[in-house]
Amino acid sequence: MATATEPLLVLAPANPGIVRLVGDTPGPDDAETLIRTLYAEHGRSLLAYATRLTGDRAAAEDVVQETLVRAWKHAGDLTTGRGSVRGWLLTVARNIVTDRARARAVRPAEVADVVDRPPVQSDHSESVVNTMVVMDALDKVSPEHRDVLVQLYYRGRSVAEAAKELGVPPGTVKSRSYYALRALRAVMAGTEAEVSR
Amino acid sequence: MNEHDRTQLGAYALGALEPGEVAEVDEHLATCAECRAELAELEEMKDFLGEVPPEAFLEGPPEGGDLLLQRTLREVREVREASAEPPMPVPVKRSRSRWLMVAAAALVVVGGALGGGVALGRSTAPPQATEPAAGYKEVTAIDTTTGAKMATTVEPRTGWSWVQVQVTGLKAGDQCQLLVTDSAGKTWTAGSWVVSEKAAKNGSTFGGGVLVPLDKVHSVEIRTLQGRHVVTATI
Repeated sequence: MATATEPLLVLAPANPGIVRLVGDTPGPDDAETLIRTLYAEHGRSLLAYATRLTGDRAAAEDVVQETLVRAWKHAGDLTTGRGSVRGWLLTVARNIVTDRARARAVRPAEVADVVDRPPVQSDHSESVVNTMVVMDALDKVSPEHRDVLVQLYYRGRSVAEAAKELGVPPGTVKSRSYYALRALRAVMAGTEAEVSR
Repeated sequence: MNEHDRTQLGAYALGALEPGEVAEVDEHLATCAECRAELAELEEMKDFLGEVPPEAFLEGPPEGGDLLLQRTLREVREVREASAEPPMPVPVKRSRSRWLMVAAAALVVVGGALGGGVALGRSTAPPQATEPAAGYKEVTAIDTTTGAKMATTVEPRTGWSWVQVQVTGLKAGDQCQLLVTDSAGKTWTAGSWVVSEKAAKNGSTFGGGVLVPLDKVHSVEIRTLQGRHVVTATI
């Protein structure tokens, strides 16, 4: 897999939140640097997501803490290039929330079975496509296309609102949204072979 | 909608068109199989987008200070310090096998984390050579009356704790229970066992889980099934 000249840890494909630690200067501060970087770039996203899932800020903070610690412990998993770091973190956070809910629901004697299973292991929900794959695909479409999808889909904005937000004519928002979905489809088609495992 | 004005279809699929525009597209779709097929493809992409939560597009650190960051860093430091191995230089060449997973029945141990080996999980069979989970507490207690000595490790789990004890000074044939008392005074049984000849000589290692969070664990006691106190460690 890795050769001596490759970076040890490549967190994230080419996206704005890139984290890249090169392995030839490992030191005791690596863990701290990793945690600080992940927190600074993904903390808000993670905490907001965990807060929505748990409905409880304190519980969400615990989830974020555990997610970051797992990212450190499993830093090697992030080198596989499957999915963005953000997608990995969000998936792990969701798994932790699920595990905790499950742990509360089962008898104590069975709880031992659910301790800290490695995250992003096969999970029934990812039979076809998962968060990491889609985030990775979104990383690969152009920023203009991604912005339009975020505005229209994730923020629920109308064409007119998105046009104002992005500073482009409404017609451009429309055509970009079409080409963005086409581009996403092309990227997804290209990764399908990888996805089916 | 103009004949095959496909650029409307993206915003249509995403539900971002005005009602008047939607009606126009609907009208065209009713008569155009080609555009309906195209729309189906775009809607499939919309379903994929649904795999990603909207929070994925928030940037930067959480609002309201970095207490959470400090807590996380503290946990990482504790894990590193708790690690038996000295911080090892991170190998430049790394293979999947470093992220070795040994899954045997109910035993799951993951080793080889960056900056030192870390045991992440274990179950009822107490593995010997793994480090306890982050934030664990360790207390050694000696009971001068019974002569029993107990090294206790309590590890945090998600809402519960794993308790492991090494007890010397037990008699062969003793039927022991591992009891945990929480801060509210309630006593939980984390398991029971019988002391073998060998364990009487070399010490007994036993572990069990209780549904008491680590910060609520007040004490760990060994008592015989007949009710005889052996040793207590206050955590």
